[in-house]
Amino acid sequence: MPGMNSGLDVGDPIVVAAFKAALLHQGLIVLLIFGLLGIAWVSLRAWLPGPARGDALAAGGATPGAATPDAATPDAATPGTATPGTGEPLWRQVLRIGFGSLWILDGILQAQPKMAVGLPSQVIEPIAASSPRWVQEVVNWAGTAWSYHPMQAGASAVWIQVGIGIWLLVAPRGAWSRLAGLVSVGWGLVVWVFGEAFGGIFAPGLTWLFGAPGAVLIYSVAGLLIALPERTWRSPLPGRLTLGGMGLFLVGMAVLQAWPGRGFWQGTSHGQPGSLTAMVRTMATTPQPGVLSTWVTAFGVFDAGHGFAVNLFVVVALAVTGAAFVSGRPALIRPALIGFGVLCVADWVLIEDFGFFGGLGTDPNSMLPMILMATAGYLALTRLPAAEAVSDPAARPVASWRDRVRLVGAPASLAAASFSSVASVGAVAMIILGAAPMAAAQASPVADTILAQAIDGNSAVLSYRAPGFSLTDQDGRTVTLASLRGKVILLTFLDPVCSTDCPLVGREFRQASQLLAADSRHVELVAINFNPLYTQVSYLQAYDREVGLGGVPNWRYLTGSRAQLQAVYRSYALPLEILPAGSMIGHGDYVFAIDQTGQVRRQYDFNPGPGTTSTQSSFAAELADTARQLLGQS
Amino acid sequence: MNGSRRLAAFALILAAASFAAGCGNTAPAGPGPATQAAAAGSVPLSSAFATAAGTWAVTVMGSRADYNDFWQLFARPAGSTRWELVTPPGVADNGGLVLASVGGGSLIAAFRPSQDLAYTPLTATSDLGQTWSSANPLAGALASTPDALAVAPGSGRLLALLADDTAELAAPGYASWSTLVTQRNLAMAPGAKRCGLVNLTAAAFTPSGVPLLAGNCTKPGTVGVLADQAGAWQLAGPALPAALAHQTVTVLRLTRIADTTVALLAAGSGRGTTLLAAWTSGDGSHWALSPPFPLNGAQLTAASFGSGGAVGVLLTANRGETIAGAGASWRSLPALPPSTATLAPDPAGGLDALAVHSATLTVWQLAPGTAGWRTSQTINVPIQFGSSG
Repeated sequence: MPGMNSGLDVGDPIVVAAFKAALLHQGLIVLLIFGLLGIAWVSLRAWLPGPARGDALAAGGATPGAATPDAATPDAATPGTATPGTGEPLWRQVLRIGFGSLWILDGILQAQPKMAVGLPSQVIEPIAASSPRWVQEVVNWAGTAWSYHPMQAGASAVWIQVGIGIWLLVAPRGAWSRLAGLVSVGWGLVVWVFGEAFGGIFAPGLTWLFGAPGAVLIYSVAGLLIALPERTWRSPLPGRLTLGGMGLFLVGMAVLQAWPGRGFWQGTSHGQPGSLTAMVRTMATTPQPGVLSTWVTAFGVFDAGHGFAVNLFVVVALAVTGAAFVSGRPALIRPALIGFGVLCVADWVLIEDFGFFGGLGTDPNSMLPMILMATAGYLALTRLPAAEAVSDPAARPVASWRDRVRLVGAPASLAAASFSSVASVGAVAMIILGAAPMAAAQASPVADTILAQAIDGNSAVLSYRAPGFSLTDQDGRTVTLASLRGKVILLTFLDPVCSTDCPLVGREFRQASQLLAADSRHVELVAINFNPLYTQVSYLQAYDREVGLGGVPNWRYLTGSRAQLQAVYRSYALPLEILPAGSMIGHGDYVFAIDQTGQVRRQYDFNPGPGTTSTQSSFAAELADTARQLLGQS
Repeated sequence: MNGSRRLAAFALILAAASFAAGCGNTAPAGPGPATQAAAAGSVPLSSAFATAAGTWAVTVMGSRADYNDFWQLFARPAGSTRWELVTPPGVADNGGLVLASVGGGSLIAAFRPSQDLAYTPLTATSDLGQTWSSANPLAGALASTPDALAVAPGSGRLLALLADDTAELAAPGYASWSTLVTQRNLAMAPGAKRCGLVNLTAAAFTPSGVPLLAGNCTKPGTVGVLADQAGAWQLAGPALPAALAHQTVTVLRLTRIADTTVALLAAGSGRGTTLLAAWTSGDGSHWALSPPFPLNGAQLTAASFGSGGAVGVLLTANRGETIAGAGASWRSLPALPPSTATLAPDPAGGLDALAVHSATLTVWQLAPGTAGWRTSQTINVPIQFGSSG
């Protein structure tokens, strides 16, 4: 997958520091938003007379959160079946609070230092690697976008997920709450498709034990249930559908688990670990507290010796649980649910190894969501709220959309809004805060310069006169440094027959020229032949054709006699070694940024390094930025 | 998302490995087996040939991993028993070295492109590799065959066979290349239609300077050697004996040594393949054929050409055969030294076996009339492992 891997160390200190700084910066903005909203809300409630707020309430609250505790009918629910003060049924509360908490946990996990660089190459790409080609291509698109803008993408995942979590937690009823459910569905599907490669359902090793069908798909299903209209709360249908769907899924997983030839029936085979044993052994190597690793290792040893029995137990357990769920009979479901919970916890601890250790864990995997879904399904089936516990939305007065957006009514609306509505607005602001920079970054065709800086460090800021030269360009014309005076010069040294870095650097110069656009008229891109043994102009022309620099108007590739070239190398203090036995010329990669007066202002010890598409475009962006800075200083 | 840590670890290793990339940086040498033979069905680049001034041998050394396979050129002056490392400097030669003899101690070497290099640098020597001067490059990628480059006797024109099955021609100086013919056009040429040409494997000149191209014919019994007769391409290969008339023929090698053009042919397929050598000293109208040599499933890994039309072939399983020239018979060599990479003819009638282990070349000699190989020289090649990664 070409664009996924930026080639950087996932713990690169420059990137990690920048990621932390971005999170801190955005975190302060989040606090500011919540603070301002809170102050405004409290102040307006204190300032506006009660009747004014009452008017607003009578008009429907003027916000989508009209059906909130303020406006909800008084407690009339049967104890234990609906939340006092909200009328929200218990099953929905389980989903909303459970998955809201999970989203917040996932958001916090996304803030781990390694995430910015590591997620595409260490998490997304390996997950997609065993999936069909078309899945890899879909996933690669997103992974590439992430690797081009690791700061924005990493931070956006944090704020979006924390925002969704808070939103779910603070909005128990009404339009705000349902909208939170729908946003959870949407973001969950985005993560499921691009982050989990469709939960691996197209990969050959699919199994419930390892997390199929993908944890975030369960988040989405939960979001869908949360988004159901209130009139469905009194119906057992959501519970029946939830348990029925889960039951069918578990039966299907049992069949898949029992399918011969997939390596689950053997703990070991011909000295090789079976599928489950191998997976458990791998998970045991994840950095984590020693006691947890010991448990996982012990289970791996047990499975290696009793693979058949373990798989038989899993198959039977899944099949029985699934059948009980499908039956819809609470008497069967209750014990099945207890057993299923135990099985899920065992799987979570011993096989999935909690899922979030190691610095690149993005969520606690699928078992906790499974337990939440099954529990909610059972509650929805067996503990329906009394009819009076759920207010009839049709009975409440609703403001027209004009009333809701009228500016003159805004203070009154805010004052009348419930806490949950105000907090929901803050959560939405948090999501937008995360999503907007990423969306803006996507408009840029090149990667962030942070990647280039992470590889080479920041360039040295210098000020000395650039040593002069008089050489021949690719068209046979004599070019001196003095003849280029008045323009910004990006000067590099390239070996035309080099087979690794030099073609990459040339392509980065070409892209820098494109990024400079109209400014390129004031910038000269100059390279001096860095191979004193291959000095003919024909080699420069061949190189230009090779990297597509032939038609770039401000590109000049210079050469000269061996003596002339070596004099230039010396004047710029650039070492070069003619290596024996079939090696290319030994040299480094350098770029000098020279201002219009002929002063060297920056020097990059320019290593295109991994040479991935993201790092290349980040180098090009850095070159273009440098040229623009020098143009701006003139 | 945590179900793929095994793959994550693998990706981590890959990422770490990619950081090792660098231009001309050196790393500690690592032992490893030298690349021995090309993939089955292709013609390996390892080769040797003799001229009046000495003998050239080219073979790959180093290790297979991470572009640590470097092709090395060795020369042995006429009258000497000592080989010298004369690999031309300045270009990474991981893609392979292809040689074209100008005669005497003069040679043109082409660096087949590798990694991000897309064209073919050329360099020349006139003193048996002691000094090299770059020549103008070839715009495309040279074909991966030891006979992809040929120099015309007298005129000095250079004929190159490219990887896209195009034959290019350049006058001395090589500043301007022109397309001589493409495989597609060649297959359609009236004089070549009865061959059913499917690909090109070699380029050469006859002693009189006529361009020759060789390839594989689909028509059984037809040898795909074609000559450019005043712009019209004609089949110019040897006629096969009746016993081989129903076999398809592969031209493994086609090269000119002094005044003789030598071809190595493989007739048939699988375990029934037989090897033939063929010689012509004119324009290709009269060829002499060797007796067929049954390969019994073996494959050619290197070939060498000596004075008087002598041919030595190195086969898989460290077997070797030689034939002294037209009218002679194949002679099996004593069991070859381990890791022999190519054979090199000795002007005195002897034979050298060049054995490679990573960065060490060991020369074994088989003196005329003797039955065993003996070590005569060891060369430690200063390979810069990691310099092309």
